[in-house]
Amino acid sequence: MKSTSKSSKTVLDPRTKMLLAVTIASVLIGGGSGGIMNIIRPALVLVPLLLFCISGKWKSAAIYAAAYLCAFAGELFLVPVTTGFMNFMIVACCGMFARFMPGIAMGSYLVNTTTVSEFMAAMERMHLPQKLSIPLSVMFRFFPTVGEEYGAIGDAMRMRGIRFGGGKPGKMLEYRMVPLMVSCVKIGEELSASALTRGLGAPIHRTNICKIGIRPYDLAAMLLCVVSIIFLLIDKFSVI
Amino acid sequence: MKQRIQAKDLINVGIFTAIMFVVCMGVAMLGYIPIFIPLLSVLVPLVGGIPFMLFLTKVKKFGMVTIMSILIGILIGLMGMGVWVIVIAPVSGILADFIFKSGGYASAKKSILGYGVFSIWVIGNFIPIVVTRDNYFDMLISGYGREYAETLMRYIPDWSLIPLLAACFISGLLGAILGRALLKKHFERAGIV
Repeated sequence: MKSTSKSSKTVLDPRTKMLLAVTIASVLIGGGSGGIMNIIRPALVLVPLLLFCISGKWKSAAIYAAAYLCAFAGELFLVPVTTGFMNFMIVACCGMFARFMPGIAMGSYLVNTTTVSEFMAAMERMHLPQKLSIPLSVMFRFFPTVGEEYGAIGDAMRMRGIRFGGGKPGKMLEYRMVPLMVSCVKIGEELSASALTRGLGAPIHRTNICKIGIRPYDLAAMLLCVVSIIFLLIDKFSVI
Repeated sequence: MKQRIQAKDLINVGIFTAIMFVVCMGVAMLGYIPIFIPLLSVLVPLVGGIPFMLFLTKVKKFGMVTIMSILIGILIGLMGMGVWVIVIAPVSGILADFIFKSGGYASAKKSILGYGVFSIWVIGNFIPIVVTRDNYFDMLISGYGREYAETLMRYIPDWSLIPLLAACFISGLLGAILGRALLKKHFERAGIV
C-alpha cells in the first residue's frame, strides 16, 4: 500500500475492493465448476483485468491476461492428452494457477491502488475497532516491504556466492529468515515512530481527509459479488 | 499490572502478522505435491516458530496474540481454506494468550508451551478434508483433476485428524525451541531483542 496517492482517479471504494477480493478468492478457489458457475467464473476472472485497464496499469493487465490464458490453455488442451505423472503435474500446476491467480491479482490491485489513509477511512466507516483496523492496515502496508526485503537479501546472498545455503537446506532457513526479520523489525520500529508522531492511537477521534463513498460503479461491483456468493452457496450445499 | 494495548503494540502485531503470513504461505506452496499436505502440519509450525518467538519478545500485554490469531485465521480462511480455520485460530490464540500471561510473557517454558497451543490453528486447514470429505473431494476433482484428489484423499484418511493435531502441537513445541535458539544466537547479539 502506498502512503500517498499519485493519481486521484481511483474508481472504486476500498470497501468494494475488499469485497471483490474476498468474493474472487472464495468463489474461484472454493467453488466447483459446471452449471451456472460456467458464467460466474469467467466474469470474476475478468474483473481484475478490467480494473487494471481502467487504472492504466497496462503491464499488470498484460501479465495477468497472458498468465491466465497459459494456465487455462494448459488445462484445456494438455490435460486430456497426457496420462500418469505428466498429467498429474500439469493438472496440479495449471489448476492451482488458474484458481489462485485472479485472487492474487485482485489482492495486488487492492494493495497497490489504495492508500493507507483511504484504507483507514474505510475501516472506520465499517465501524471496525481500532484494535483490528490498525494491525490490518499495517499488515497490508507491510506485505510489499517483506517481499522487497526478501529480494534484497537474496541479492546480497548471491553476491557473496551463497546459494541454497551452500548445499545445506537446513542452514538456508537461518540464512534467509534471520536477516529478513532483523530488517523487518527495524523498519517496523521506524514505521511505528512515524505513525505515532502523526497521531495514530491518540485518545481523540481522528479525522480523515480522504473522500470515500459508494458510487454507481461500487453498487454494480457489489451486486456481482452478492450474486456470485449466493450461487457459490447454492452450489456448495446443493440447495436446488 | 493492567496495561492497555497501545498503538505501538498494534503496529507490532500488524508487522509480525505480515511476516508470519508470508512465511506460512511460502511453506504452504509445497502443497503442490500431495504428500506434502499432511507434512504441512509439521512444517508450518516449525518454521513459524522463528518469527513468533521474536514477536513474543515484543508482547507484554494480554490480547496481542489473540489479535494476531484472528487476523491469521481470516487471511488463511480467505485464501480458500474454508471457515473452520477462521473459527479455530482465535480459539487457539486466546488459549495461548492465557498461557503466556500466566508466565508473565517472560517464562521460557510457558512460551514454548504457548506456541504449541497457538500452532493448533493449522489443524483448521485439515478439518474440511475430513468432515466434509465428499464435498471437498468434488471440489478437488473439478479443480485439480481426479488423480490429485484421489492421492490426497489416500494420504489423509478419516482417523488422521488426531495424529495431525498432535503433529501440530509437537512441531509447535519444536518450532518454539528452534526459534528461541535462533533468538539467542542472532537477535540478542544484534541488539534487536
